[in-house]
Amino acid sequence: MTAFSSNPQLAGAERLEGTFIFDLERSARGLRLNRFLHGLVIPERRALFKSDPQAAFDQARLTPEEQRMVLELDWRALIHYGASFFTMEKLGRVSGVSNPAMVAAMRGETLESFLATRRVPGAR
Amino acid sequence: MARIIGGIGTSHVPTIGMAYDRKKGADPDWAPLFEGYAPAARWLAEKKPDVLVFFFNDHATTFFFDHYPTFAIGVWDEYPIADEGMGPRPVPALRGHAPLSRHMATALVNDEFDMSVFQDLPLDHGLNSPLTMLYPEAVPAGGWPVSVVPIEVNVLQHPMPTPLRCWKLGQAVRRAVASWPEDLSVVVVGTGGLSHQMNGERAGFNNEAWDREFLELIHTDPMALTRMRLADFARLGGSEGAEVIMWLAMRGALSPDVKKVHQSYYLPMTTAMAVAVFEETP
Repeated sequence: MTAFSSNPQLAGAERLEGTFIFDLERSARGLRLNRFLHGLVIPERRALFKSDPQAAFDQARLTPEEQRMVLELDWRALIHYGASFFTMEKLGRVSGVSNPAMVAAMRGETLESFLATRRVPGAR
Repeated sequence: MARIIGGIGTSHVPTIGMAYDRKKGADPDWAPLFEGYAPAARWLAEKKPDVLVFFFNDHATTFFFDHYPTFAIGVWDEYPIADEGMGPRPVPALRGHAPLSRHMATALVNDEFDMSVFQDLPLDHGLNSPLTMLYPEAVPAGGWPVSVVPIEVNVLQHPMPTPLRCWKLGQAVRRAVASWPEDLSVVVVGTGGLSHQMNGERAGFNNEAWDREFLELIHTDPMALTRMRLADFARLGGSEGAEVIMWLAMRGALSPDVKKVHQSYYLPMTTAMAVAVFEETP
């Protein structure tokens, strides 16, 4: 029994393919990583991340795999792992990556092919 | 006494704020968005409410998952614009209404809505992206002609409040506003949606047919929406689209026979951007 399976509001949500419902299990698994990503809203923290990522990772005690996903901006791996899209969004802003680019990466598409499916590809 | 004169449902996509900040009103890619908000802004300029009560969500900016409040109400007289990773938007700090919001916090708790209470915290795009579209003259004027009472709703981490609970929060907010003795004109604002998903391989999901149906139901049959489960909202409108339960809080604070006086819908990229204005009979 998990927080997900015991929540009647989520009955049926497990059948949504390619969907990562952020529940208390995911939140717990991703807590250390999400705390690091959330910290990027503080100017000193993002300055340290930009100038010396290893020092920022050490401070946050990120595991080698967590460090790799962040350094490589591996959006798909991050969301699979337990990052919240909304803390990933902070990393996107610090790294100059737009939300459509993050969405394309999570879908496993190039940005160009994703934009081709949108009604107004220039609206970003 | 304080009186709710109407309600607004609005998306809070960060790019709505970005488009405003970069003055994209004449850009053909963005003009439909600005045109969609203009009637809502005119309605507010004409009605001149004193206070907007905002049902919004934080995006793990001000609050973090080590303690994420289900419902939290701000009771300060000024809220800074939050830094979401690129520095704060160039927008004046938001004006709060401390006396009304303290009264509302007290009234809600006594009405069995046990709110978390926050003071001088910064607020992110969940509130500030629609606000600049609703008051486009505020930034050049250097200040806001209206105060806000921010009510944060957890729509990020399950267990989230149920759709019915959001509806009941709106009803309790209506009672709390009505029990404030001074004359104040209040508009309730529900933010979020419409269809979008920002995680996994299903990211980029939209459903215009469902969005149109939602815009109809929120006006004519909101109780049908309260009977849906969050899983239904996620299936129909995307997992992040389930945040439209905040519109139910707005609708719960309005009369059953409220009139819809404006609606617009624009789906350029990943998130359907909608705004709807509801007016109470004077």
